Amino acid sequence: MNIVTTSPGAGGSPASTASRSAGHVDGTTGASTRGHIRIADMGIRFGRGARGVQAVSGVDLEVRPGEFVSLIGPSGCGKSTILNVVAGFLKPSSGSATMDGAAIDGPGADRGVVFQQYSLFPWMTVRTNVEFGLKMQGVPRSNRQQSARTLLGLAGLLSFENHYPDQLSGGMKQRVGIVRALATSPQVMLMDEPFGALDSQTRVVMQQILTNMWQQFRLSVLFITHDIEEAIFLSDRIYVMTARPGRIKAQIEVPLPRPRTAEMMVSRPFLDLRSQLHELIREESLAAMGGELKDGGLEGFGTEVGPKGLSELV
Amino acid sequence: MSSLGSVPAAGPSLSMASVTEAEALPAEGRTPAAAATPSSFPGGTLEYARTPTPAAANTPAASGWGAGWGDMLDGLRSNLLTLVLGVISIGGFFTLWYFATKYQFEFYVRFRNIPSPVLVFTEFVDVIKLPQFQKNLVTSIQRIFTGFAIAAALGVTLGLLIGRYRLVRGLVFPSLEIIRPIPGIAWVPMSIMLWPSSESSIVFICFLGAFFPILLNTMHGVQTVDKVLLRAARSLGAKEGALLVQIILPAALPHIFTGLGIGMGVAWVSLVAAEMISGQFGIGYFTWEAYSLIHYSHIVIGMLSIGFLGLLSSALIRAAGTLAMPWHKTHVNEGRE
Repeated sequence: MNIVTTSPGAGGSPASTASRSAGHVDGTTGASTRGHIRIADMGIRFGRGARGVQAVSGVDLEVRPGEFVSLIGPSGCGKSTILNVVAGFLKPSSGSATMDGAAIDGPGADRGVVFQQYSLFPWMTVRTNVEFGLKMQGVPRSNRQQSARTLLGLAGLLSFENHYPDQLSGGMKQRVGIVRALATSPQVMLMDEPFGALDSQTRVVMQQILTNMWQQFRLSVLFITHDIEEAIFLSDRIYVMTARPGRIKAQIEVPLPRPRTAEMMVSRPFLDLRSQLHELIREESLAAMGGELKDGGLEGFGTEVGPKGLSELV
Repeated sequence: MSSLGSVPAAGPSLSMASVTEAEALPAEGRTPAAAATPSSFPGGTLEYARTPTPAAANTPAASGWGAGWGDMLDGLRSNLLTLVLGVISIGGFFTLWYFATKYQFEFYVRFRNIPSPVLVFTEFVDVIKLPQFQKNLVTSIQRIFTGFAIAAALGVTLGLLIGRYRLVRGLVFPSLEIIRPIPGIAWVPMSIMLWPSSESSIVFICFLGAFFPILLNTMHGVQTVDKVLLRAARSLGAKEGALLVQIILPAALPHIFTGLGIGMGVAWVSLVAAEMISGQFGIGYFTWEAYSLIHYSHIVIGMLSIGFLGLLSSALIRAAGTLAMPWHKTHVNEGRE
């Protein structure tokens, strides 16, 4: 297990990891050389002056071509903020964010985004949703219809092409969301807790679908989640963040072989990694909730309530 | 008959606004209650798709025949109940009216001069054949639709721009806010001075009535578009123009149609008032003239005609809304059994 703990704010250590394992990544994912995301010493501040809030600071992060990278951390730590910078929705206040060497300037179809809230256009059918990105590129109607149908067919959604999003279940909506993001053949997929709104059974199935899909498409993926098992199951590498202001606390290589299968989730290395990550996250969650948990908050109640329950107290 | 129910539809703007808003809101936070039916997809796992609504019935429907018959019977039963209750409601109204005029009910309100429903009906059969009356109807309809069409085009366009661009809002909205509280009737003298013909001045007053509800609702619709949809569109390569026309406009359509419905109601209020004061034709003029000529049954005929036309135009807008938004189902809380 390669755990590299970076001291907060100190740049440079991700770079050394990069050089160490670059050969390994290229060896497994083939010739893809595009879709390289680099974030260097990035800080993001919302608002100005004393009332401003430092969301993240001193973040160094890298997604190499064809690599699946997860970002986990306690809620409110700025995971989504980092993703929004890569997507081009936000500009960093300091530091830099680049894609294939060029500074990221605004959103674009080279980076597909999948949102937690599905974000399908409710007035478009499933197929027109998938076609939208191609339409924006000026692809003629018949061509984009065909591309959309092909992609929907691959995802097993072709029989629902004329449905409206409201008629689909959460899992199907999110599959359409992924297909829509793939339609413009991006080099990078940015996924912001895409399965966060799904029930746990659907979520497991979606993880399997996603890992199979990734195996075929060889995209660079930046995946935001707060689910540790999900992060391990899907990722090549996991970044753990601290409580706000978010920094990179550690980055962890996942040693599990590809393709990933459900049985791996009970294997020794998986379980070891899980408990390790649990410990890292737990510290940060406690730190994040620090103010709320004073005076015995964690114990639930400071006093023994007794057999009669609450009625004795109130 | 059913024209009675239309009085609120063409009624004052404020009460209308609150009702329509209240109906529109639950539609956004709706929880689809449609039954789930399993269907398999390659990969071997089960997924659940909600039963398609009639709007998308051309796609493989998942409901079986047995369920279809049961639903139809249930639907028939609830339709029958609605019909029976409707007949009781309207029949009751006419019965009360009939007896109030028959016995010339007089207790603070006076039914002495009010024509009975029977008289109104027999007079109506005669009046509807008169070219003069038909011309009144046609004139009013023309005025309404001209004023309303201009208001819809201008209101939606301006609403989109004001809602989307802070610069336009800052430049245009303050002056509109000064004009907005002035009711259409107050515009009558100014309008007569402003416009070359009485026809154009009445159309202008209709326009004013419809314009502000349409503008404000469109603006509101634009400002409440889900930001995630805008981000999704931008990440798929949409630039500002495409964003405005292909995302913001359709996303705001439910609000826009709320505005169109309210606007149509206010346009009728303004039209009738303007016709009563300055018209030479039109259904409002007809109603007021009947009063001057002490032709009481014609007053009621005029009122019922206004109600009926108001109902018809609201129904047209609702139908247009259903056509324009096949994805949008208005789930109205139907109330306790």
